[in-house]
Amino acid sequence: MNNKPHLDEEALAELRDVMEDEFGILIQTYISDSRERIQALHQALSDNDQDAFAKTAHSFKGSSINIGAARLGDLCLEAEKAGREGRLDDVRKLLPELESEFATVRHLMEDSLLA
Amino acid sequence: MPVHTRRSDDGETLIIAIQGRFDFSTHQAFRDAYEKNGSGVRRWVVDMSDTTYLDSSALGMLLLLRDHAGGDDADIVIENCNSDVRRILTISNFEQLFSIR
Amino acid sequence: MSNVGHARALRLLIADDSRTDRLILQAMLRRQGHEVRATSNGQEAVELFASWRPDMVLLDVMMPRMDGMEAARRIKAMAGEILVPVIFLTSLSDAGALAQCLESGGDDFLPKPYNSVIIEAKLGAFDRMRRMHETLTGQRDHIRERNQQLVREQETARRVFDNIAHTGCLDAPNIRFHASPMSVFNGDILFACPRPAGGMHLLVGDFTGHGLPAAIGALPVAEIFYGMTSKGFSGGDVLRELNQKLVRILPTGMFCCAFFVEVDFRRGMLRVWNGGLPDGFLVRSDGEKEALASRHLPLGVLKPERFAAPMVEYGARPGDQLLLVTDGVLEATNSEGCPYGEERLAAILAQETGNRSLSDVVLEEVGAFIGDAKGTDDLTILSLCMTEQDPVVGRAVVVSQSALTGPGHWACSYEVENGTLGTFNPLPLLLHVCMAVSGLRQHSGEIYTILSELYTNALEHGILGLPSAWKISPEGFSRYYAEREKRLAAVEGHAIRFELSHRLGSTGGRLIIRCIDTGPGFDTGKILKQADDTGTVRYAGRGIELIRELSSALSYSKQGNQAEVVYDWQLADSGSGTAPV
Repeated sequence: MNNKPHLDEEALAELRDVMEDEFGILIQTYISDSRERIQALHQALSDNDQDAFAKTAHSFKGSSINIGAARLGDLCLEAEKAGREGRLDDVRKLLPELESEFATVRHLMEDSLLA
Repeated sequence: MPVHTRRSDDGETLIIAIQGRFDFSTHQAFRDAYEKNGSGVRRWVVDMSDTTYLDSSALGMLLLLRDHAGGDDADIVIENCNSDVRRILTISNFEQLFSIR
Repeated sequence: MSNVGHARALRLLIADDSRTDRLILQAMLRRQGHEVRATSNGQEAVELFASWRPDMVLLDVMMPRMDGMEAARRIKAMAGEILVPVIFLTSLSDAGALAQCLESGGDDFLPKPYNSVIIEAKLGAFDRMRRMHETLTGQRDHIRERNQQLVREQETARRVFDNIAHTGCLDAPNIRFHASPMSVFNGDILFACPRPAGGMHLLVGDFTGHGLPAAIGALPVAEIFYGMTSKGFSGGDVLRELNQKLVRILPTGMFCCAFFVEVDFRRGMLRVWNGGLPDGFLVRSDGEKEALASRHLPLGVLKPERFAAPMVEYGARPGDQLLLVTDGVLEATNSEGCPYGEERLAAILAQETGNRSLSDVVLEEVGAFIGDAKGTDDLTILSLCMTEQDPVVGRAVVVSQSALTGPGHWACSYEVENGTLGTFNPLPLLLHVCMAVSGLRQHSGEIYTILSELYTNALEHGILGLPSAWKISPEGFSRYYAEREKRLAAVEGHAIRFELSHRLGSTGGRLIIRCIDTGPGFDTGKILKQADDTGTVRYAGRGIELIRELSSALSYSKQGNQAEVVYDWQLADSGSGTAPV
């Protein structure tokens, strides 16, 4: 149902051009930020803090879209909405999907860095 | 443009018609009317049929036209004035300088 | 691909709590040549704005420690009149939230993912807007400053103007007027000056145009008006000189509509000349009203050789009022855009019983009509009430020097011949000669009157042979003056000679004026006897009576064509009543 790419190669190429030497730092930053955000999402879920959940998902969405991880961005948007509307079942179902999509993106990025 | 000009058939009379208010805002257009269309003109007619108002700067402009047209020898007719316009011309005694019809 | 040439380098402040997004935006902006500083929260963004003063600010909406909207509000408040565009960085998709961003002072959005081309275009557009705003506020400040400067200059100019065009005798008890202090910059002028022989001249004028050109034109008018009037020149002379001067100095198309009045309280006479101003009004104490319409071209239009200054004469009794107004009164408009107009003015005058000054009445009525007191700034109104006594007698010349300085002993003779009799008035010249004696200056009015009466008698009766009895009726009056013109034009082989001599003593002096005409003379005994018959109304011989009142002695030669007047003057504080010579 979501046909967007895991990682938009064209967008990534553009970022590589823009960032020049700092491209590696950007990718590393994104990966470590994202790890922190996934942790924060888990924490919010266990605290039952739906507002914190939605906000974190929102930020996660922004940086994912910016870096070219379009499909992950969509998942974050769904998680943000579900969190805001208090649909906890959906949230619980989305979080693992989100984690798995991030893992895919991360692998693709690391490959790209090695290339 | 509130100022329109046309020539008589023989080309010797320049008719300048002023629409609406004849005041300082008309200054450039009025001047252009006789300066830019003036070659070979011997007689000038200022047509006030559609002039609603005239102020003292317009009187000044008429004097400028008079100078341009030869001063004391100028052949200028001011025609079709409404009563307000006529009143201003009369107070200023412009009949002494122009032929007003 | 995004590196499309650098526009102007801007100082840009970014606040975003996402490190990834911050890194990307920062890199994009730096590549476009801008100077960038970044922070992760709203609080720091506000502080950095205060210390660094960037040109534009890019804010994430959701941030810890003060969100983007609050930061935007504070930054806009700090920026004050300077336009600092605030652009929100957002992946918000909810229209309501976006609208809220703009309400808090944001100017635009930048959606994620960031796109270099779009960013560059937006920044370019905002930079243009920012610069235009800067230019406009700069120009506005400049205009404001220039305007203040202009107002200051006008005030200074007005003080200079007031020194030249002082109010003259506008403060006389029988004159009421209304004019804005800055009216000269509206092109309106209002002057009144006492004449040396008594009476006064009034001039109400309206220059075409406004501001400096009008004020500059008003200066020579004031100088000529006051200068010539106090030297004893007639209204016609003053008008001719004014016209000649204005024709010379004003560009074609600029002129001065004017109403000139010569007021003679002693004879109960007004002589008026209206060139281009609205009707003046003579309102009699019994309510009867005469309009004094414009019969001439304004001053500064006709070349001197074509300019004529015939004045229309009106008899006026004490209590009669003269009202003069400029266009401003007739053109004053009410809130519906309707002008006050001639009809309303005429209606007001018709109702007036004459107990109040017409100037006050008209000002009040026009003020009520336009319903805004400020609007009366452009009105110039003057009214004069005729009085039994000359209200400004003796005010013509101010004596400031020691009375005994100047020439003490001298004599001169001056003769005017033939055609010159009709075209030249020798009196100002003769008065000028006498005024070289400081002590005579405070008597200039009396001396002018004596000279003037002698000259009139010599010319009109001695040479032209006009019977003063004609002046009994209004018809006779016109006949008299028509005949005067006619006979003057035909004068041949005649002259009038003045012989003046002066001796100075220790406490005063004696001026002897001899006036000799070439006419056949007259029966002096009869005329002098007539002048002695006091208590009856006489139309002839008033001049002789007047001279006798003013002088120590008046005598005529046997033939009656030579008059001699002895005028003794004393220093004001000498206390002695005897002649000093």
